[in-house]
Amino acid sequence: MRIFTRLLLLFLLVAVLPLALYSYLNLRQGEATLRQQALGRMSGLADKKAIQVKNYLAERVQDVRLLARGPRVEEAMGTISQEYAGRLKNAVNYQREDARARLNFERYVEEAGRFYDLFLITPEGEIIYSQKHESDFATNLITGPYRNSQLAYAFRAARMTLEPIVSGYEHYEPSQAPALFIAAPIMMDGQFKGVFAVQLGNELFYQVATDATGLGQSGEAAFARRDGDGVLYTTPLKYRSDAAMKFRLDRQQIKTTPMFGALSGESGEGVKLDYRGKSVVAAWRYLPGLDWGMVVEVDADEVFAPIYQQRTVLLQTLLALLLFAGLLAYYFGRQISRPLEGMARTADEVAGGSLDMRADESAPGELGLFACAFNRMTESLQVLYRSLEDRVEERTRELNVTNEELQEEIIEREQLESALRDSETYLRVSLEDLRYQKFALDQHSVVALTDVSGTITYVNDKFCEISGYAAQELIGQNHRLLNSGTHPAQFFSDMYRTIESGQVWSGEMCNRTRDKGLYWVRVTIVPYLDNDGKPAQYIAIQADITASKKAEEEIRNLAFYDVLTQLPNRRLLLDRINLALSVSLRSQHYGAVLFLDMDRFKTLNDTLGHDYGDLLLIEVAKRIQSCVREVDTVARLGGDEFVVLIEEIDAHAAEASQKVALIAEKIRLSLTVPYPLKGRQHHSSPSIGVCLYLGHEESADTLLKHADMAMYQAKDSGRNTVRFFDPKMQHAVEARAELEADLRHAVPDEQLHLYYQIQLDNEQRALGAEALVRWIHPTRGMVSPAQFIPVAEESALILEIGAWVLETACRQLSDWSKNELTRNLSISVNVSAQQFKLVDFVDKVEATLQACGAPAALLKLELTESVVLSDVADVVAKMHALKALGVQLSLDDFGTGYSSLSYLKRLPLDQLKIDQSFVRDIATDANDAVMVHAIIDMAHNFGLDVIAEGVETEDQLAFLKLHGCMAYQGYLFSKPVPVEAFEKLLGRGNS
Amino acid sequence: MDRPTGMQNLFRGRKILALPLLALLLLVVLMYRDDAKPVIKIGVLHSLTGTMAVSESPLVDAVRLAVEEANQSGGVNGAQIEMIITDCRSDAGYCAQQAEKLITQDRVQALFGCWTSACRKALKPVVEKHHHLLFYPLQYEGLEQSPDIIYTGAAPNQQVIPMVTWALQRRGKRVYMIGSDYVFPRTANKIVKKLLQAQGGQLVAERYVPLGEKNLDAIVREIATLRPDFVLNTLNGDSNLHFFRALQQAGIRATDIPVFSTSIAEAELVAIGPELVAGHFAAWNYFQSVPGDENRAFIERFRNRYGSHRVLDDPMEAAYIGVRLWVNAQRSAGTQDLSTVKNVLGQQTLAAPEGVVAVDAETRHLWKTVRIARARTDGQFEIVWQSAHSIPPAPFPFFIPRTELRAMEPVAP
Repeated sequence: MRIFTRLLLLFLLVAVLPLALYSYLNLRQGEATLRQQALGRMSGLADKKAIQVKNYLAERVQDVRLLARGPRVEEAMGTISQEYAGRLKNAVNYQREDARARLNFERYVEEAGRFYDLFLITPEGEIIYSQKHESDFATNLITGPYRNSQLAYAFRAARMTLEPIVSGYEHYEPSQAPALFIAAPIMMDGQFKGVFAVQLGNELFYQVATDATGLGQSGEAAFARRDGDGVLYTTPLKYRSDAAMKFRLDRQQIKTTPMFGALSGESGEGVKLDYRGKSVVAAWRYLPGLDWGMVVEVDADEVFAPIYQQRTVLLQTLLALLLFAGLLAYYFGRQISRPLEGMARTADEVAGGSLDMRADESAPGELGLFACAFNRMTESLQVLYRSLEDRVEERTRELNVTNEELQEEIIEREQLESALRDSETYLRVSLEDLRYQKFALDQHSVVALTDVSGTITYVNDKFCEISGYAAQELIGQNHRLLNSGTHPAQFFSDMYRTIESGQVWSGEMCNRTRDKGLYWVRVTIVPYLDNDGKPAQYIAIQADITASKKAEEEIRNLAFYDVLTQLPNRRLLLDRINLALSVSLRSQHYGAVLFLDMDRFKTLNDTLGHDYGDLLLIEVAKRIQSCVREVDTVARLGGDEFVVLIEEIDAHAAEASQKVALIAEKIRLSLTVPYPLKGRQHHSSPSIGVCLYLGHEESADTLLKHADMAMYQAKDSGRNTVRFFDPKMQHAVEARAELEADLRHAVPDEQLHLYYQIQLDNEQRALGAEALVRWIHPTRGMVSPAQFIPVAEESALILEIGAWVLETACRQLSDWSKNELTRNLSISVNVSAQQFKLVDFVDKVEATLQACGAPAALLKLELTESVVLSDVADVVAKMHALKALGVQLSLDDFGTGYSSLSYLKRLPLDQLKIDQSFVRDIATDANDAVMVHAIIDMAHNFGLDVIAEGVETEDQLAFLKLHGCMAYQGYLFSKPVPVEAFEKLLGRGNS
Repeated sequence: MDRPTGMQNLFRGRKILALPLLALLLLVVLMYRDDAKPVIKIGVLHSLTGTMAVSESPLVDAVRLAVEEANQSGGVNGAQIEMIITDCRSDAGYCAQQAEKLITQDRVQALFGCWTSACRKALKPVVEKHHHLLFYPLQYEGLEQSPDIIYTGAAPNQQVIPMVTWALQRRGKRVYMIGSDYVFPRTANKIVKKLLQAQGGQLVAERYVPLGEKNLDAIVREIATLRPDFVLNTLNGDSNLHFFRALQQAGIRATDIPVFSTSIAEAELVAIGPELVAGHFAAWNYFQSVPGDENRAFIERFRNRYGSHRVLDDPMEAAYIGVRLWVNAQRSAGTQDLSTVKNVLGQQTLAAPEGVVAVDAETRHLWKTVRIARARTDGQFEIVWQSAHSIPPAPFPFFIPRTELRAMEPVAP
């Protein structure tokens, strides 16, 4: 029996053991992967949930923060606290203030459901205002009946730390319900004036907290807080809807649940027993703001259902296999061992001399043949024995030899037989093996077979299930049928190159279902090789990973873009800013960060609802984008906060700040245009904070912080404004505005003065004067024209100033005409482009001349090239009209622009004025010398007078005189002086 | 019946089969053999020589304990943590250089270090330049936050503000301020002055002495003359010893004019002598006397490692939980990618010896429980008040308008 036993053992060892081992490892791997996936998913969901709840609270804290700092609360606190003490004596005043506050705060409580109640509390703890007027009104939170409530805690902590505080969540007697409070100090002029507190609305809060999206059929999010030794569930549970603040478990019951971990401040995930005693896949987190534990869980049965099923199938398969292999081994073992034993017995007896014995020849195959041969041998032996009995003695030795040879042959054959049997059974078992492995594979995976051209030859049920096709629709079709177009051609050519070379390919692939949906699979393609080592067909084994792909994508989108506006979010923005800082470091160009916040956005949200608010935000995003370049980044930080990153503005701080101010102003204006929202016109405006940056001077966070601070300054200074973070920038922008404001008073307050600079001929005789405007401000003193003329030019003020100058000069001419000494003097007056462009400019000049009674021939209007270069026809017409009045025309700053000679010829000019920049370098710069020479020659040729301004030295005068200049003006003779001084000068010159 | 020939036959067959079996076994062994993983390095930057050495070296012990515990429980993602301890020599500039070296040459994954604000201000630009990660364990003056620093000590609203408010409520309105002349006391006092304005307190006098000043007799004489309701003490280092000694010599008892200190913990009590300080007050988030299992176990582990005579205090605990938070974040992130770890850190919570703490994702400071305690003659503190819940960090106090906050920020040295 020993051969039989060994055969049996070998069978089991070779056939069943590897299979069992393989199945076990496979199952373990699968289970571990599934478990890992489930835990990972749960952990992700828990993080999301925790952030959701934290954000909801943070938003409410922010609401309270803004309200506590806002004018409504300040005003209400001020007035009500004044009237409160005397409310019994003077009820009318108190009730008026109370009603006013009620009206102001109503919307925060009634709508949206965020807040249930609002409170104003004095520094001493007296509740002097409550929206709901529950029994807590007019009680004291330090000495009164509710001094141990969470409202009292929030009040005390806010008073202690002067920070916004979130209370714990407990039953609140006046409301007869669980309640959570947020309290913030009210500060006025740096003084602590009381506490503003809100009571959160439970319904909306529960909704946010217990929303079970993504948690399958059995999943939920549970919240609890410590309660003495045990825990108290704080929100409704899926399986206990009345759990909120009522369902309590003590320490022994809770110790093994995930909630215990959460409440001890840890986070984690695992398979645990939950409050129902049910096995769940859970992730737990601690929420510091609420001092709560949070558990996100799904029943383990739901999560692990596939693996349980797989385990059962595999076990059954293994058992069946074991039984089958055992039986097979038993049968073949018997087949071999029985004839061998019989033969051994017969051979023994023949050897013992019983030559009549014969072996059983009925055994099949080689064993039978062997028995036959043995019997023939025995017969031969017997014949030989009989016929050669007498020769026995001589032959005995020979016979023995033969006998031994025969025996050796037997051994050899026996060995051969055994080997043959072994290999045959091995093959058989291997085949069975394969069939069961295929069965197991079909249970677990999506499987398809294709031929080398990609035509599908086999699909299993799972394949049909995932793709939505029936098997007969797929077989005979090319696998391209499922192509979703997600992957580039390169992807497929890489895949085919791999499998055509006989190698295994695996990767993730997106396919299309019958009804055009997409699904993701992890695919492993194994080529079957023929005898030549070339692939004959391919087997594709796939696992469904659609769910995890979707989750991945969702997370990626959430991570960088704001869902509502599709703008970059804070994270992407920070990346961009960091990048921009590096670019700026290299280019040394300034860039800017604009922090925008829509004024009174909350009002819109609260009064008209979130969808209005959302529409507004989308519109705001569009408008901001239309105001900036494509390369600039517009991001939304959340709520109504936007950030604009403007890169590479200018290399100079002053220029950059002016440019940014313009852009910010443009954005501000565009956002102030009314918003048509669902048929209504909504008015809104932004407050904008601006912060410039250069290189890596500040980190991205600091920049944002600074821009944010600037934005708050903008809000503080009355909203709908732009503020710079850098005080210098702000000063520059403000100083300009102030200057403009002051300038408006210059004419009415008679702060402007005309100074006169003398013009002389070659004989040092006075020809006239250029009238120059001077501004002497009561506090600024003398303001340089270089400073205020550009400001005046940007606004319309230049018109007013110009008119004043003209009028003053004409009056002066009129005065002078009465005096012998001055009657021939002309006055040159500068005309600005804006002034000249006025339609009725010529009429105005005429009217002024008449009104003052001034001789027109002595008024000389100085035009700059920039004036005469625009709208030629109009300019020429006006100049002719002026000439007709008798007024003289002079071209100022001649040579600095680009006037062409032909153009010059068309203008009815009397005089060219050589710009002082040429005169200054006349003696040192050969080019300037040539230029001046040319101008004088040209003037003579055109028959024009020529005057040089800015003459400061005798050398310059000599040069000009030498080259034919006839008139001069400059410091060499006199600086511009008031009229009295000018007249004195004349007297001296003449004397 | 048995024959040797039959036996041989069978043996030969088995050899053929044994070969694949052996190969199979080998494969299984290979599959389950763990790959050896590299170590993960962290940099510890504290002063082990110079004036700060006495204060800072216990922090290195706390960090070491946390690292050893993490390594015993499997390390970080299979890697063992290796500490590179660098002596900052009580020199902020030198410390910043060392930080640069740890980041660029040793390629550490995180830095744990600094005591003074000067040190932190010197390290901040280095850490931010490399977008690296620093854990700073001390309470400080606030007005700062960085995406690359986790502040495990108290923000002003978690220590000095509630302490002064408490004193104003219980002791009276007249406050005398004494502090060492450097960043922290000056900035903290700026905040406190705003607080006094808000809470109706009255500043009697504000005095600063150089760090290490030994002669505080004049100060104490002034206190004796002015008789404030309490003294706010932001002195650091040895000056405290001389200050309390002078108080005692002048016959001013804790019951007459209590001193509220920001920088006196258990370690300082030992150094000054508990009997000199007994009856005076301090505020921290952690005291060795905090009740609870976590703290009891923490004290026991620390003493098992370093000896039963050792005392624990707030900065040590803050240094310890810094490492714990980092280890948890590393494990949870499952990667060494710094930005991922920093992201994950923002959501971390921990059952710390002081109670549950949580990282505030926005400010990168911790939610902490605030405690005010009175020094006892046995060198421990007796907690007299603590917040019912953990208090969110507010490095930029809410009650001070933003425009004024900006003006208060200390200028970097």
